[in-house]
Amino acid sequence: MVSNTSPVGGDDVFEGLLKKETASVEQRTVAERAHSQAAQSEKRMQELLFQNSTLPVTLSSIQIHGASHTRRSFLDPLFQPLVEDSRNAGYTLAEMLEQVGSTVEKLHKFAMTQSTNTHPLVYEEIFHPNILLHLSRPSHLDPSSSPTDLDVSLRVRERSRLMLKTGTDLGNTEGSAYGSMLLRNIFGGAEHLSLNASAGTRTRSAYSAEFSTPIRSNPDLRLSIDGLASSTHKPWASHEEALKGGGIKLNWATRNGDRFQLGYSNTWRQLTGLAPGASATVRNDAGDSVKSAITYIFQRDRRDNPMLPQSGYLVKTTTEVAGWGALGGDVGFSKSEMELSGALPIPIPGVKGFSGVSIGGGLRGGLLYPLPLSYGLGGASPSRLNDRFTLGGPTDVRGFSLGGLGPRDGGDALGGDVFAAGSLNMLIPLPRAGVESPFRIQLFANGGRLVAMRNKTKSNDTASGQRMSAESVWNSMISATSKVGTGLPSIAAGVGLVYAHPVARFELNFSLPLVTRRGEEARKGLQVGVGINFL
Amino acid sequence: MPSEETRDRTRPGPRPSGPSGWFAIPAPLARLFKKFPLLTYPPNELPARSPDIRDVATLYVFISDSDALKGLPSYNPSCLKWQTFLKFARVEFRILPSNNHASPSGALPFLLPPSQPNDVKSQTPIPSNKLERYALAHGASKIPDVPNPRLEAYESLLDHRIRNAWLYSLYISPANSALLSQLYIAPVSRSAHVRTAILYQLRRAAEAEIVRSTRRPAIDPAVLYSEASEAFRALETVLGSGPWFFDSSEPGLFDASIFAYTHLVLDERLAWEDRRLADILKECPGLIEHRDRILHDCWE
Repeated sequence: MVSNTSPVGGDDVFEGLLKKETASVEQRTVAERAHSQAAQSEKRMQELLFQNSTLPVTLSSIQIHGASHTRRSFLDPLFQPLVEDSRNAGYTLAEMLEQVGSTVEKLHKFAMTQSTNTHPLVYEEIFHPNILLHLSRPSHLDPSSSPTDLDVSLRVRERSRLMLKTGTDLGNTEGSAYGSMLLRNIFGGAEHLSLNASAGTRTRSAYSAEFSTPIRSNPDLRLSIDGLASSTHKPWASHEEALKGGGIKLNWATRNGDRFQLGYSNTWRQLTGLAPGASATVRNDAGDSVKSAITYIFQRDRRDNPMLPQSGYLVKTTTEVAGWGALGGDVGFSKSEMELSGALPIPIPGVKGFSGVSIGGGLRGGLLYPLPLSYGLGGASPSRLNDRFTLGGPTDVRGFSLGGLGPRDGGDALGGDVFAAGSLNMLIPLPRAGVESPFRIQLFANGGRLVAMRNKTKSNDTASGQRMSAESVWNSMISATSKVGTGLPSIAAGVGLVYAHPVARFELNFSLPLVTRRGEEARKGLQVGVGINFL
Repeated sequence: MPSEETRDRTRPGPRPSGPSGWFAIPAPLARLFKKFPLLTYPPNELPARSPDIRDVATLYVFISDSDALKGLPSYNPSCLKWQTFLKFARVEFRILPSNNHASPSGALPFLLPPSQPNDVKSQTPIPSNKLERYALAHGASKIPDVPNPRLEAYESLLDHRIRNAWLYSLYISPANSALLSQLYIAPVSRSAHVRTAILYQLRRAAEAEIVRSTRRPAIDPAVLYSEASEAFRALETVLGSGPWFFDSSEPGLFDASIFAYTHLVLDERLAWEDRRLADILKECPGLIEHRDRILHDCWE
C-alpha cells in the first residue's frame, strides 16, 4: 500500500503478493488510521521491504480510472518519472514503490483543501481524498508479459465540477456573509475559477473573481489571475475605501513546506464617504490613487496548530514595492513587514506527556519607505493614509481598540510608517476540560509602537503634492525609526479565555493598559477578538 | 481626542458604565481602573502629510498645487464664487487643493474653521451653503445685504443658462477636452485607465445636468450658447453703469457669482480652444469691466 506521507505501509496482502507472486492488493489510503495498527503494519512493511527491496520489477502498465474530466496531458507529467525510471535496468520494488508513492502524493495534493486565509498557496481539490491503488500481476496467458511485470492502477473519484456555496465567514475582526461559485477542473487540468460576493460588518460589499491553474501539473506551483471590487468601512479613520483592481500571482511551495508568492497588482483606491467628524488629515488624503505594486511573500509555518500554537514557529515576510521605475501608479514606496512567532510546550512536573501548558511569543515589525515615482526626478511623496500601517486591536496589540496605537488627529487613527510590536502569552488548559479541548486560559502582555514619518524640511506650505528629496526622506526615516525605541512601548496586559475553533480563534480578554501615549485608544476591561492570525 | 483615561481622572466618582457600556462597574474596580495606565507619554507626532497650519480657516477648492500656494483663483466656478466672496468679506483664510471626495456635501468648496488639534468639534467642516453665514460672522467687513425682488430670477440666469453653456463648453465640447483633462482629470491619477473612467463619468454627469436643467432630451450647443448670450446681456443691463450689482457700494455675493464665470471664461491662463463663450462675453463690456475690477481688488 502507499500512503501519502511515506512510500511504505500496507499489510499482509502485500506479503502474499511478494511470497506467492500471484495475489493482488487493494488498499485504501485512509488518513485516519488506528495508530497502533499503522505502526505495526509499517514496521512489518519495512521488514518486508528490507528483505525484498532489491527484487527486480518492471512496470507493465499504469491505468487511471475515474478521471473522466481530467486531461491526459495534465496527468502525463505526473506519471512521467514513474515510467521513465521503470525502463532502467535493475529497477527494484523499493524504487518503484517510492515513485508510485510520490506520484500519489501529488495526486493527493490535488485532493486536498487548505485554509485560504492563512496560506498563500491553496491546493485545488479536483479529486475526492480517497485514492485507491491497485497492484497486480498481468495474466500469465499474455505472451508479452515477463515474470517481473507489475500492473499499477489507480482509482480516483472526481469532485463535482461546480460548487455553489453561501455562508458566513470570520476573518480578522470581521464577520461577513458570502456567496460563492467555484468551477473546478475547467479544462481538465485542475484549473479553477471562483466568483465571490460578500457583505460584512466592515467590508460593505466585495466582489472578486479568481482563475488559478497549476503549472506543468505541479500542485506546488500555481499561477492565478484575480480581480476585485470592494468597499470597506474604516471607522477608526472616518472613511470608506473603495477598491477596484486586479493582479497576477505565482505561488509555489518547497518540499519542506515553505510557501512563496510573487505577485503584481494594480488597484484603484478611492478614499471616500467621509464621516462628518473626519479630521483634516483624512480630508487631505481623500480621493483617488492608483497603486501598482509587486509583492513578495515568504512563509514558513512550523506551528502545530495555527489557531492554537503550542509548539513550533512561524516566519512570515512581506515585501512590496509600489510606483517605482516602470510600475507607474500614483504612490511610490517600499513596504516591508516581518512576523515571527513561536511557542514552547512547558512540561509540568508530575504530569506525563504534554501538559497543555505553553508559552508563546510573537514579534512583528514593518517599515514603509517613500520612493520617488517612476525614475525619481520629482522626489518622493510622504505616505498616504491607506498605505500606512495600523496597529492595535484584539488580534494584534490586545487591550487597545482597532488602530488604537500611533498618531491620531481628532478621533482618527492615522497609521504610521514604522512599527514594532511584540507579545508574550501563556496558555493553560482549563482545569476540567483537559489538554485536548480547544479551550485555554491565556495570560498575556503585549505592546507596540507605531510612528509616523515627519517631514523635517517642510516649509510652511502644506500642499498635498509636497515632495521630499532622497536625503530628507532618509533623515526623516532615521528619526522616525529611532523614535520607535525611545521610551517604553505602549503596553497592555491581561487575562482571557481562548477558544480555537478550526475556522477561527475566539478570545475574550480582560486587560488594562500599562503604558500609553496621550491620544492612543486603550481599552480597559473586556475585549472580544475573533481572527485567524493573532500576535 | 483626549484619551479615555485623562477624562476619567477629571471625572468625579466612579465611572457609570464599563468600556462596553453593558454593565456598571463596582466602585473598587473603578478605583483600580483609574490607576491605569501607569505611565502616559506625550502624544505621537502626526504624519508628514497632516496639515501643520490649523489656526487659519482653510477653504478646500479645485486648484493646482502651485496656484494654491500663491492663493490664485480656483478654476471651478462654485469654488471661485466662495473664494471671492470670502475675500469680499475679508475673512482670513488659505486655500488647499482638494476633490469632491473630501467634502461633507459631496461637492467643493467647503471650509474648515481654525481648529485646535485634538478637538473633534472644531474640525467640523462648513459646507458651501453655510459659508455666507460664516463669512458674515467671521469677516472683517460687513457685506451689504441689498434686497432685490428680482434676485432669484437673476440667479436662475446664472444657475441655468450660463452654467449650461459653461458645462457644455468645458466638459462636452471636444475642442476643450485638453483643458478639461488638464484641470479635472490629470490631477486625479497618472493611470490611463482611471483617467478614461473619470473622463467618461464627468461627461455623463455634465450631460445629465444640462438635460435636467433644459428639460430637453437632446443637447443643442447653438441653443445653449444663444441662451447664455441672452443671459449675459440681461445681466449687463442689470449691472447698468454702477461698479457693483444692485447699486451697492460694496461687492456682494451676486457679484462673486458673476465673477466666478466671467473671470474663468476670460482667463488667459486657461487654454480654451473653443472660445465661443469668451466671444459672447466680449459683447458685454460692462461685465468685463466688472470682472477686471474684482480681479484687481482681490488678486492684484
